[in-house]
Amino acid sequence: MNVRTQIVVAAVLLAALAIVVNMVRKRRLELRYALAWLGLGIGILILDCFPELMGWTADQVGIASPTNMLFFCGFLFALIIIFTLTVSISRTSVKIKELAQEVAFLEKKLREMSGAKTDASADSSEKKEF
Amino acid sequence: MRDKEEKSLKKLIIVPAYNEEASIEKTVELIRQEADFFDYVVINDCSTDRTGEICEARGYPVVNLPTNLGIGGAVQTGYRYALRNGYEMAVQVDGDGQHDPKFLKQMAEYLEENGLDMVIGSRFIERQGFQSSAMRRAGIRFFSVLIRLLTGARITDPTSGLRIIGKDVLKLFAGEYPKDYPEPESVVTVLGRGFQVGEVPVVMKERNGGKSSISPGKSVYYMIKVSLAILFEKMRKE
Repeated sequence: MNVRTQIVVAAVLLAALAIVVNMVRKRRLELRYALAWLGLGIGILILDCFPELMGWTADQVGIASPTNMLFFCGFLFALIIIFTLTVSISRTSVKIKELAQEVAFLEKKLREMSGAKTDASADSSEKKEF
Repeated sequence: MRDKEEKSLKKLIIVPAYNEEASIEKTVELIRQEADFFDYVVINDCSTDRTGEICEARGYPVVNLPTNLGIGGAVQTGYRYALRNGYEMAVQVDGDGQHDPKFLKQMAEYLEENGLDMVIGSRFIERQGFQSSAMRRAGIRFFSVLIRLLTGARITDPTSGLRIIGKDVLKLFAGEYPKDYPEPESVVTVLGRGFQVGEVPVVMKERNGGKSSISPGKSVYYMIKVSLAILFEKMRKE
């Protein structure tokens, strides 16, 4: 890896990090979901600045080629993020369900209240609720 | 809500309805005739047809869900409604006319007399009326055996939606209830918590209109999902 590649990669990474930071700043992305991406960006930036680190870590865990280690780590990272998202979808869908039920109850109450008002003059015998 | 000194328990019929404009009136009118000792509420699961309008025009008590929650979410809405409004017994009667309300009285009495927590209306005790296709019966039989192996209870019709539940199970279901294909799974939940479940023979009809939520393509998914759900439910209880 020559210096030119290192600079290009660093520039791309910094731009990506800037986008993420800006989105968090504008509250379009929640910090808790952005953390993993920020961590990833910074991690790759470190590896980009000190490429020897990659060979060294690969050696430590017993993977022959540093590239393979990088692919493996990348894949693992993607899986972790996807799994986290699945968990959060499950949680969100429960909340949406509960909100929908709540809204439906409120709508019924409102409908009956406005119905009772219009019925008050017409004197309907059907309305014994509340 | 005023008549607190009433002797008998307050009972609610939950009518989950998704695009049942063809049969909802018939179902509700039948409930009014055959089961007038029950209150009822229609849960309109965000139908795209005129189900909601029909209910409102007719003055039926109806809860209109703002998004489609599926059968499990709709029925649970009914259970929550029941709990909030002080009902002590609740039963699901499908909006498509499969369930005959004339069995409700008998089911409620069976529940009270035997001190049970849940009574299921089973098609397969006396084997009368609409028996479903052979394939579906085989599927139901499979769940029945699975539940027997896991809980020791003999439930002949675990997929029956016609089920009456008492106050304790009502609380349980209002808190958590499976989203799709809830029947077999929730029977295992109830059995796992040590509640008493009984069955009463009923006769079911073929649906009046609308479609089954289980299309042929979905039946493989259905079998796998429900079997797994039953196994998970069993693991949860420990």
